[in-house]
Amino acid sequence: MKRAGRWTLVIVAAMMLAATIPGASFAQQKKLVLWTHWDQNPDFNKWYADKGKEFAKKTGYEVEVVTIPYQGYEAKYLAALMAKSSAPDMFMGMTHQWCGQYDFCDKMPADLAKLYDENLPKYMVEVGKWKGVRYGIPIEHGNFQQMYINVDMFKKAGLNPDDPPKTFDVWLADMKKLTIPDPKGGDPTQVGFAIRSKGAPVGITDKFLPFAHAWGARMLSPDLDKATGYANSPQMVAALTFFGDLVNKDKVASLAFGNPEDAFGQKRAAVIFRESWFFGWVKKNAPDVNFKVYALPCEKTCPGAGALFPWTDLVYKNSPNKQMAWEFFRFISNAKDDLEHHQIQGILPVWTVNLDTPYVKSRPDYQSTKDMLAQPVPPTYFHPKSNELATAFGDAVVGVLFGKGQPKPLLDEAAAKMDRILKD
Amino acid sequence: MATLPETRRVLTDRRAILTLRQAHYRWLIALAVACGAIVVFFPFFWMAVTSLKTAPEIQRVPLQIAPDHWLNLTNYFEVFKREPFLRYLLNSTVVASIAAVSSVVVSSLAGFGFAKYHFPGRDVLFLAVVGILMVPFQSVVVPLYVWMNDLGLLDTYAGIVAPDLVSVFGVFLMRQAIETIPNDYIDAARVDGASELKIFLTVVLPSVKPAIATLLIIKFMWSWNEFFWPMVVISSREMKVVTMGLMSFTNMYFIEYNLLTAAAVLSILPILVIFITLQRWVVQAVVMSGLKG
Amino acid sequence: MRRWLRIAFPKTQFDRRNRAGFLFVLPALLFFGFVFILPLAQSIAYSFYKLPPGGERQFVGLRLYEKVFTDSTFWTAIQNTIQLLIFSVPATVILALAVAIGLNGIIHLKWRNVWASMYFLPFATSLVAAALIWQWIYDPVYGFLNYLLSMVGIPPQKWLQSLFQVRPAIAAVSVWVRIGFDTMIFLAALQSIPGEYYEAARMDGANAVQRLRYITLPLLNPQIIMVCILELIFNFKIFDQVYATTQGGPAGASQTIIMLLYDTAFKYFRFGDASVMAVFVFVTLMVVTLLQWRLFRKPVEY
Repeated sequence: MKRAGRWTLVIVAAMMLAATIPGASFAQQKKLVLWTHWDQNPDFNKWYADKGKEFAKKTGYEVEVVTIPYQGYEAKYLAALMAKSSAPDMFMGMTHQWCGQYDFCDKMPADLAKLYDENLPKYMVEVGKWKGVRYGIPIEHGNFQQMYINVDMFKKAGLNPDDPPKTFDVWLADMKKLTIPDPKGGDPTQVGFAIRSKGAPVGITDKFLPFAHAWGARMLSPDLDKATGYANSPQMVAALTFFGDLVNKDKVASLAFGNPEDAFGQKRAAVIFRESWFFGWVKKNAPDVNFKVYALPCEKTCPGAGALFPWTDLVYKNSPNKQMAWEFFRFISNAKDDLEHHQIQGILPVWTVNLDTPYVKSRPDYQSTKDMLAQPVPPTYFHPKSNELATAFGDAVVGVLFGKGQPKPLLDEAAAKMDRILKD
Repeated sequence: MATLPETRRVLTDRRAILTLRQAHYRWLIALAVACGAIVVFFPFFWMAVTSLKTAPEIQRVPLQIAPDHWLNLTNYFEVFKREPFLRYLLNSTVVASIAAVSSVVVSSLAGFGFAKYHFPGRDVLFLAVVGILMVPFQSVVVPLYVWMNDLGLLDTYAGIVAPDLVSVFGVFLMRQAIETIPNDYIDAARVDGASELKIFLTVVLPSVKPAIATLLIIKFMWSWNEFFWPMVVISSREMKVVTMGLMSFTNMYFIEYNLLTAAAVLSILPILVIFITLQRWVVQAVVMSGLKG
Repeated sequence: MRRWLRIAFPKTQFDRRNRAGFLFVLPALLFFGFVFILPLAQSIAYSFYKLPPGGERQFVGLRLYEKVFTDSTFWTAIQNTIQLLIFSVPATVILALAVAIGLNGIIHLKWRNVWASMYFLPFATSLVAAALIWQWIYDPVYGFLNYLLSMVGIPPQKWLQSLFQVRPAIAAVSVWVRIGFDTMIFLAALQSIPGEYYEAARMDGANAVQRLRYITLPLLNPQIIMVCILELIFNFKIFDQVYATTQGGPAGASQTIIMLLYDTAFKYFRFGDASVMAVFVFVTLMVVTLLQWRLFRKPVEY
């Protein structure tokens, strides 16, 4: 018993010692810290650090990239930015949240802002701006949905995979041909459209918005200060009715299929609307799916390239190194670096001039991206309360999908709720 | 060991007393317990099997239980290639050990105080301690983070373990266990002139060994599986813990089940080892104390 | 007040002893005070203030309380949480008790350890990993559960996708995770019951059920209460599993109160409202625990 006692003391002492070990080593090297929660793009994130080594040769500052898990990142960002002294110098997030709701961002120097205004595609110019002032650098292009089709399933249904539907009426007819109902009346074994019905309402709103925009509806007024009359407009009701009917009336989409990505990958759905990262996923997880990418169909107007969650790189207002941070961003703000940065991860570059490079031309979504960008720019909803507004709106969409009510009353309710949120 | 033959004799005597019907009941109960254990264990089996499949295999429909190649360890190699998982395991071990030991020390002291003493406000204070459990952690995380930052403890072992140093459950458990110690033992020690602290060390602690072992195991596991606080307080890669390592195989858009399951298997192994060793000690301690009583 | 003075300046041996008792409790109290009580107090203070975008805090008194308590989303979340509780707490406690009694009856120590380890294993997984694995088992298309059901002719169920099945499904995950923990507590307590009690009862002619009712359960009463309280608190605060899988869906059917709290604080940036919810959770749990404590506690003689 005595020996055990002695050993316990040794172990306890060792642990006390271990507790005092400082965490990260004291870096003599000066560095800029960048936080990002884009955890599915590790190569993209690492590029900042690699570029930082070049930058260090000029200025003596390296760049350290910290990848925050997406789950719970809001809490970590908030805690760090409020605590000031341990905050990152640069961080990736949505401009209208961190610069609009909170005052954490530093204004971009005028020359850099002008550079971006001139070199970004039309629909992206507003991304990174709050109240007309630019704070952030958009990092993601191709954050808009496009239509992926399963070539083999199209052929089997007697459709031409090289001639995709261009309007939603034709699209619906095609979906019906691609759906194989269950003779016993249960869930179909194969559906035309892989619909997103699970998860947080914000994501569901995001997936529904192209339909809304195609019908000419918008979620909020152009000034983003009113929801009633817009979120429950006749056009929105029509769009939501069409969307809900896909599941409930036409039965070309099913709620029983779980993840739409998995449904498409398992060849249980012929069509999915997803962003440009999706074809990388398909190549990795479902390499035997033969697919093509096209622009989204139109109805009253075309959905266009819209994004609910535009990610941007921002500089922390209270960082002691903020001048140097902008220097670094200046260092990498050119067409060549933009191309290299995005190519390394297999995603679309952001600068307009890069959209015709050989790399982009070789992507399966090259033509479809061009077509989407040619469509008129859809409404954006860059409001500090966008999360909450999209959630309230999403409740109506989900309600229709799950048969909890009719589009008009649910949208009226959602619009009232959104107005309450806006007024608060 | 003089105790072992005695143990065996006690067991055989008990068995001799059993009637045939009682033996039948025992068999049925044992079977039910075994079946339940297998059902509970199944998701782990599923997890382990999935860690041997490649991503396309997992997506395959109709469902297939066995992987194509039973010894396909590519996922495990990938896990180690992508993340310094050994370092994460080390970090988790250090943090969980400190939390467990610290919890046992402070909780047993507090449990003793609550169980066998009558100072004013005892019940109110105990209720206050239990009340800590009812505080949603999400609402204290920001003030706690700022405090850690001011103390310079961010990204350190001390910072990660700080909210875990004492466990309400530990106080609860220890109090429960110490309450069952007959007051005569304590009074006898007092008569012998022992100080309160000596009573604690010589009378109380040895009598609650099963509870201590239980608390050690549970607190270790609980701390091992913490995600939210470590995620908020850790920024550098070297200090990450195992739960954060697991989450690096999920992201905004999808979950890499093949790698996630492999990492999950890796993260459970150390706990299994600890549990098995400590469990044996629990049984031994109980058997020995049973014979003494 | 006089009693406190006697703790600080003990006059009798009795006082000195009580002071020692208080000192034993002090480290824990100090720790909890700093780590939890102070931030909680700050949180409570926040519940009376509003933080408009980019602006300074404004004192608004009880207005936020009124706002939160008249919000239907809040009450739906409470309802969902209570339903989850009803599904998971009784099941966990009863099953854990049954398993512990069963394990205690197994004579072969080696087998008992094997089965006990298997029951305890789910507790060794992080909640998030457990939830993700179960999400996959519940998957309507290629999940194992539907596969099993299809072998006995039951059509595939929607589980986490269904408005009605999602809550029991999540509750089942909680039961699975927690059962080993409670079993261990019960088992440790069962092993502390001296065998003589059972011998005496058996000699008096009591059968197994009677032994259970009159010896085991009363002696286990403190542990049963403790486990009930802990399970209730734990399941009321359920967050990780839901956040990792359904995120409150489908259509808000699985949104629990803590999920709503997290979203309100960190996604909607409404700290005042979130603080109101935190206060509500705290007060509710405190009241319920007190009730459980007072109503069910029976002193046992040793």
